[in-house]
Amino acid sequence: VKRLLLDRLIHALFVSLGVATLVFLLIHLIPGDPVDVMLGESAVPADKAELRHALKLDRPLAAQYGDFLLGLSRGDLGTSFRSREPVAREILSRFPATLLLACASLAVALLIAVPLGIAAAMRPRSWIDFLCGTAAMLGLSTPNFVIGPMLVLLFSIQLGVLPVSGHGGWRHLVLPALTLGSGMSAILMRMLRSSLLEEIGQDYVRTALAKGTPPLRAVVRHALPNASIPVVTVLGLQFGALLAGSVITETLFSWPGVGRLTVQAIEARDYPLVQGCVLFIALLTVAVNLAADLAYARLDPRIRHE
Amino acid sequence: MRPSNDPRNTRLAPAAVLLLLAASIAFAGCRQKLPIEEGTLVVALSGAPSALDPRIATDAYSEQLLQMTHAGLLRRDAGGGLEPDLAASFVARTPTEIVFRLRPGLRFHDGRALTASDVRYTFEWIRDPANRSPHRSAFGPLESIETPGPLVVLFRLKEPFAPFLTEMTRGIVPAGTAARGYAPPIGAGPFMVADVEPGDSVTLDPFLGYHGGAPALSRVVVKFIPDSTLRFLELKMGSVNFVLNGIDPEMLPEAAKNPNLVVEEAAGSNASYLGFNLSDPVLSDPRVRRAIAMALDRETIVRTLWKGKADLADSILAPAFWAHAGGLEPVPFDPAAARRLLDEAGFRDPDGDGPATRFALTYKTSQNALRLRIATAMQEQLRKVGIALDVRSYEWGTFFGDIGKGNFQLYSLTWVGLRDPDIYHLAFHSGRMPPDGANRNRYRNAEVDRLADAGRRETEPRARKAIYDRIQRILARDLPVFPLWINRNILVRDRRVSGFAITPDEDYSQLRNVSIRNSLPGSAR
Repeated sequence: VKRLLLDRLIHALFVSLGVATLVFLLIHLIPGDPVDVMLGESAVPADKAELRHALKLDRPLAAQYGDFLLGLSRGDLGTSFRSREPVAREILSRFPATLLLACASLAVALLIAVPLGIAAAMRPRSWIDFLCGTAAMLGLSTPNFVIGPMLVLLFSIQLGVLPVSGHGGWRHLVLPALTLGSGMSAILMRMLRSSLLEEIGQDYVRTALAKGTPPLRAVVRHALPNASIPVVTVLGLQFGALLAGSVITETLFSWPGVGRLTVQAIEARDYPLVQGCVLFIALLTVAVNLAADLAYARLDPRIRHE
Repeated sequence: MRPSNDPRNTRLAPAAVLLLLAASIAFAGCRQKLPIEEGTLVVALSGAPSALDPRIATDAYSEQLLQMTHAGLLRRDAGGGLEPDLAASFVARTPTEIVFRLRPGLRFHDGRALTASDVRYTFEWIRDPANRSPHRSAFGPLESIETPGPLVVLFRLKEPFAPFLTEMTRGIVPAGTAARGYAPPIGAGPFMVADVEPGDSVTLDPFLGYHGGAPALSRVVVKFIPDSTLRFLELKMGSVNFVLNGIDPEMLPEAAKNPNLVVEEAAGSNASYLGFNLSDPVLSDPRVRRAIAMALDRETIVRTLWKGKADLADSILAPAFWAHAGGLEPVPFDPAAARRLLDEAGFRDPDGDGPATRFALTYKTSQNALRLRIATAMQEQLRKVGIALDVRSYEWGTFFGDIGKGNFQLYSLTWVGLRDPDIYHLAFHSGRMPPDGANRNRYRNAEVDRLADAGRRETEPRARKAIYDRIQRILARDLPVFPLWINRNILVRDRRVSGFAITPDEDYSQLRNVSIRNSLPGSAR
C-alpha cells in the first residue's frame, strides 16, 4: 500500500503540474482581457497600461508562468483580481458548501442505486427490473436543469415543505442533493445490476445457495462485494466530479460552491482565481481516485498483491 | 438459478420503493412556515457582487448593494441629475474649483463622525496608483483635494471638466480603512452590513443614525439567485418578496395572476442599439444604414419578444434623462422606402422578391437566448428588403473583444448605467476609437468631435444640454448606431411591500423608504 501511495503521489504531482500549465496557457490564450473587464471602456490607455503593469500582466508569458510556479511552490495561489481576497481563502470559503452537497448527493445516489440495483439483479427481466431500467433511462437522459425546477415545483411550491434555493440548514440541502444524486444513481444502479448478474451466476454463489443461505443474504454477503469493484470506480470518478462543483446545479439552487466560483472567475478573466480553482479541482480529483484505488485493495485482495 | 425463486424475496423490490416514498413523505411531516419574518424584506439579485467596496467595485450587483450601504456626497435624482446627499450644498466657485459643504453631525455605521478628511481619504485612496482602483482614470482631471474646514471639501481641477461631478456619487468610507490587509469598509448609507455569506446572501440592518432618517424595515436580506425561473418560484412561494428587473417577460402574466404579488413597471434608462461598422464599404453609406433601420419592425419585436416591456428609443439617452433631446425625428418602419434607398445607393436586388440578395452582412451577438431570438427576427425582416443576415453568437468575452477590435459588421448591445452625456465623447468622438475609448463603430464627424469636447468644458447646465441636443440631432441623421428600444423597469413585489419608487436607473437606495405590512388581509399567511 505504501508503494501505491508513493506512486500515486508522484503521479498526482505530475498531473497537477500538467493541469496547472494547461490552465495557465488556456486562460491566457482565450480572448478577453482582465484589465478591460476591470476598468471598463471609459478607462484611458495609460491607466490600463498601469494596471497591467501592477498585475504583472505586461511581462512575457514565460515570466508570468515562472512567477505562477514559484508562488505554487510556496503554496501561494495569489490574490483575486476582483475581490482582492487571497485565492486560497476564496476557494476554501466555498469548498464546505460543495463538499456538503457532494456527500449528500452521493448518499442519495447510493440510497437509490444500491437497493434498486440489487432488486433488479435478483429478478432480471421482471417488472421491477423493467421499472428500474426505465427509471434509470429517465434519470440519465433528463438534465439537471429540468429535474431541479421540477423538484422545486413539487416540494416547494405544491407541497410547501422545502425552500426553493439558497444555503443554510439541511432543508436547503435536500433539493440540490436529490437533483444531483438522482442522475448519478441511474448509472450506478445499471452498473451494479449488470455486475451483480455476472457474480450471481458464479459457482460460489450457487454453493452458498446450495448450503441453504437465503438468496438475499447470498447476494448481499457474497456477490455484492465482488460486484462492487466497477461500481467503486465509477463512484470515485463521479464523486471527483461532484467535488469540482456542479456548475448547473449550484447556479440553479444558488448554492455558493466551487463550481459557481470557477464560472464567475472565468467570466471576469480573474486569472489567479481561475488557476487556483482548476488546480484545486485537479488535486481533489487525484485524491478521490487514489481513495478509490485504496478501496479496491480492500474489496479485492488480488489487487493488493499486484 | 434465480435467487428470486424464493417467495420471501419478491417483497424486497416494492419494499425499496416504499422506503423511498416514505422518506420523501417524511418531509411533509416537518412542514413549517417558510415565509419571511415580520419587517424583513427579502430582495433577490440576479448575481453576486464581486466586492463590497465603493472604491474598487465595478459590476452592477456591487453597485446596487452599495447604493444601500454607502452614501456619497451627491446622489442621482429621478431625471439622472445630481442632488446633495452627504453634502448639504455644493457650488462651483470657479469652473475649476468645486466646494462641497457637508451636513453637520454625519455618522458612519460604527458611530464615528464623517468629516471632510474621510471624503479626502476616499478619493485619495482611489487616486493612489498603488491601490489599483478601476475608478482611478475618472480622477485624471483632478489637481488636488483640500479640506479648508472639518465640513468643507474643495476639489481643484486642472481644467473645467463637467462630467467630474458624476464621480461624486461614489460612496465615502472612513479614513484609514484597509491600511493593513484588506476588508470591505463600512459606509454611511441607510443600511449596514450585518452578515455576508459569500456567493449566497448579504444581510443588512437599518442604520438608525442615517442622516435621512432610519429606514422603516427591520432587516433586508439580499439573496443572489442567478436562475430566473428560481427567482420567480421564490417570489411565488413568498420566500423572496422583491425582485427588480429579474423576472423574464414571459413569466410576468403568471406573476400578475398571483394574489400575493404585484407587478409594477416604469420607464427604464438602458438603451439597446444596433451598431454599424462604418469602416465597412457597404455600411459606410448612410443610406444603407437608414435603409436597414427602416426595414426593422421594432414595434413587433418589442410586442412579441419583449412582451411590450420596452419603449422605442430615438437616442441612446432615455427620454427621462436630463440631457435627452426632445423632438428627434423617429425612424419609421417602412420596408418600401428602405428598398428605394438601397436601390438609390446602388445595391439593386438582382431578382426582386426572389432568393438572391442585394448583399450579405454578419450580425454578432452574445449567447443570451432572447438576444438570439431578436437577431433571428431581424434576419427575417431584413430578408424582406433583400439583405441576407448571417447571425453568429459568441461567448461574451469573445463577442465583446471582437466588437472592440472592429471585427464585425453589425452587432447589438445595451448601454448600461449611463450617467453623463459625456458618453458622446467616449463613444462617438473620432479620437476615442478602441483602445482609447468606445467609438467601436469608427464614427468620424468633425462637428461631433468639436461639440463633444465643448460639452466637457461647459459647466452651465442649460448651455451644456444645448450642446448635447445638437449632437443627438446629428447622430439621428447620420445613424452611426440605430437606437432600438429601452427596456422598462419591472418590479415584482409582495403585496405587503410599499413605498418603493422605481427610478429609471434602478436606484436601490430607495429601499430606505420601504415598509412592509405585517399581515396580508384575506390570506392564510
